[in-house]
Formats: sequence, C-alpha cells, structure tokens
Amino acid sequence: MPAALDAIVAELREADRQERIDLLLDFAASLPPLPPELEARKDAEHRVAECQSPVYLFVEVIDGRVALHADAPMESPTVRGFVSLLLEGLSGASPADVMKIPGDLVDRCGLTEVLGMLRVGGLTGVLRRIQRDVARAVGSAPTSP
Amino acid sequence: MADEYAHPETLVSTQWVQDHLDDPKVRIVESDEDLLLYDVGHVPGAVRIDWHGDLQDQIVRDYIDAEKFADLCSRNGIANDTTVVFYGDKSNWWACYAFWAFTLFGHKDLKVMNGGRKLWLDEGRPTSRETPTYPRTDYKVVGGDESAIRAFRDDVLAHMKAGGKMIDVRSPKEYTGEALHMEEYPQEGSLRGGHIPGARGVPWSRAVNEDGTFKSPAELRAIFEGEAGLKPSDDVVAYCRIGERSSLTWFVLTHLLGYPRVRNYDGSWTEWGNLVRAPIKRGAEA
Repeated sequence: MPAALDAIVAELREADRQERIDLLLDFAASLPPLPPELEARKDAEHRVAECQSPVYLFVEVIDGRVALHADAPMESPTVRGFVSLLLEGLSGASPADVMKIPGDLVDRCGLTEVLGMLRVGGLTGVLRRIQRDVARAVGSAPTSP
Repeated sequence: MADEYAHPETLVSTQWVQDHLDDPKVRIVESDEDLLLYDVGHVPGAVRIDWHGDLQDQIVRDYIDAEKFADLCSRNGIANDTTVVFYGDKSNWWACYAFWAFTLFGHKDLKVMNGGRKLWLDEGRPTSRETPTYPRTDYKVVGGDESAIRAFRDDVLAHMKAGGKMIDVRSPKEYTGEALHMEEYPQEGSLRGGHIPGARGVPWSRAVNEDGTFKSPAELRAIFEGEAGLKPSDDVVAYCRIGERSSLTWFVLTHLLGYPRVRNYDGSWTEWGNLVRAPIKRGAEA
C-alpha cells in the first residue's frame, strides 16, 4: 500500500467513532476543486456507477506516477471525504502500489463500524474504479524506461 | 374541492420547526442517507436517528425490537407524548422511513418537515454542529399495528394473486428490469431484474418538487389516481429496493392523500428479486 495511504489508514483505525467522523469531514472539506478543463468532462464515462451521488474520477498515470482528480458533492460528505482521502493517499504513488491496495480498505479504516455495512459498498466502488483506471492507463501507456 | 392534504397535521413547515426549536414537547430528528450530514450542521437541538445504525437490527434483517425502540427514544429525550418531527436529505426519504418505523412501534404524534434538510439550508435557517443531550425519559413500550402498514413477502404474493394494487417506486430502468447497476456487487443486489407482476411504476421522485417539498394534493391525485389508477379505498402495497423510497410513497398515500390501507413492503426488490420462483414481469407493462 502507498505509504501516504498507509498513514491515513493507521490514523483512522486508531481514532474513536467521533474522531473518524471528524477526520472524514476534514477530508471532505479539503477536496480541491476540479481544474476547469476537467469540469467540462464530467460525463457518464467518468462517473462512478456504484455511488448514488454523482462522483467523478479522472485517473492518469504520468511519468510512472498516479495522478488523480475527483469531484463529489458537498451534500454527500461521506463519499466526498473518502474520495478526498484516496486523492491524498494515492497521488504520486506507483501504479503497482495502487494495485496492491486491499479490497477491504474501507473496513481497515474502521469506517464499516461507523457507517454500517450497507453504506460502504459505494466507497469500495470508488477504490475499485481507481484501480481499474490505473490498470488501463498502465496497459495502454508506452513503457517508460 | 379544497386543495388540502388529508392529514395536514403530519406535515409542518420549516418555519413551524424554527418556531418550536425550544419547545420541550417537540423533538426534532434528523435521518439521512449520508450519516455525516448531521455532523456538518443540523437544525439546532435536533438529534440524529440513523435508519441503519439505530432502527435496524444489526444481525437479522428486521427492525429493532420494542424494548430497544423504547430505549432509543428514552436516550433521545423522546417521551410517549412527545411530538417527533423528522427531516433529512434526499427529499426526506429517510425521514419518511423513520416516520414509518416509529409508526410500526405505535408512536402517535409524528410529523415530517416539508422540504427537509435542503429547504432548511436553502432558506438560510440556523444550523448547529453541537450534539444536544436531553434528560432521559421513561418511554413505555406501546406496540403498533404492524400488519396495518407492513407487508411481508407472503402477504405480497397473496396480494398479487388477488389482483391487489401495487406501486413500484424505483426508477424506470429498475422497473423494466434493464438495470441492476450492481454487476460488481452481486452480493448486495438482486439476481433478477424486473417488477412484481401487476405493480405500476411510479418513481418516488414524482411526488416531490425540486425544492424537496411535496407536490400539492391535486398534483398527487393526478399522478396516483389519474395515471396509476389508484382509488382511496384500494388496498395498496408499495415497494422499492430496500423499502426506504417506498416509505416516502407510503407517507404520501397514507397521510397526504388519506388512503386508509397502504402497506410498505420493506423486503422490496432485494428480497423479491432473489426469491426462488417468485413471479417476475420484465418490460414496461404492469
């Protein structure tokens, strides 16, 4: 797992219920706005189907490093916070490290406990989407030295 | 004919809520799809009751029992005679769901804040991030009439065979069976798509306006009676995917239009679409 993400997971896991909520809200508040050129590309292709809220992901691999941009509504702070957490934890990571993130990441963060099982499917969907897009980007990109 | 809701006392305005923020006989309850919205800021003095964490049993697919419900109310400073006002996100889906669940347990004085969380914020009304605490009450278990408002799968099957009226409030694609949107999560979805034979599709959202408030009685009658062919005397079953959107429709039919016999099938499509040999109809026809 990328080191930055690992640190976030550890922080969440050690926090109590209210601290986890507050951390997620801090992440939600700090999600940077999309660059204008991506704002115009918020289409079905970039929308995460598993999320009921409109969540858009833009995943690139530039010079062997993962670059992420995302948009999620303020009215959906849970998924917005989780998307922001992934952006912070994964930006600049190597594609190989991103592919190694375990599928039960949400659980490892202690969020299933806070949110309940029915609410975490969409969050896991965001992670899988990033992993799928990274795999595609690496597959189609010319191998760099 | 006066254009009035059948039970206007069950719907209050945002202004009414603001006027009753300090009323000890009133408890404001926020119920959301997104659990964190309450922490972002809520109606001052409101408590959070979560449909999933608080109202549902965590092991069996069912609601908590009457004793746990009494404890939940007691902890939140709700007495048997407290006026409970629900509001929430998504045009009050979960507020209506909580209202329905409180009805299951026989609580009498329940209201929904028209417009929900969105309208409260859009109107620039005050919010707070403080979680209030209230003196514990001694809530007495009363017990509601579950069979009057809740349908189980066998009830629905019998209702279907008898040609009873049903409303499917999911999106048009879920109704026709084109979409499950869950191919990566078969364990959370349904194995089959379509609707219960005989059910008419009326997406829940048709009952609400852009601002989250409910449509007028005349508009609601045009949809449910004019288009979907219901009559107030009908025995109606409403369902969706897990029973939350259909509790909004249940609220509309029961309290806004005054139908005396409406049941919510909370097992809904996640049960029916997985039941072996349950009859299913695909396509746009009922």
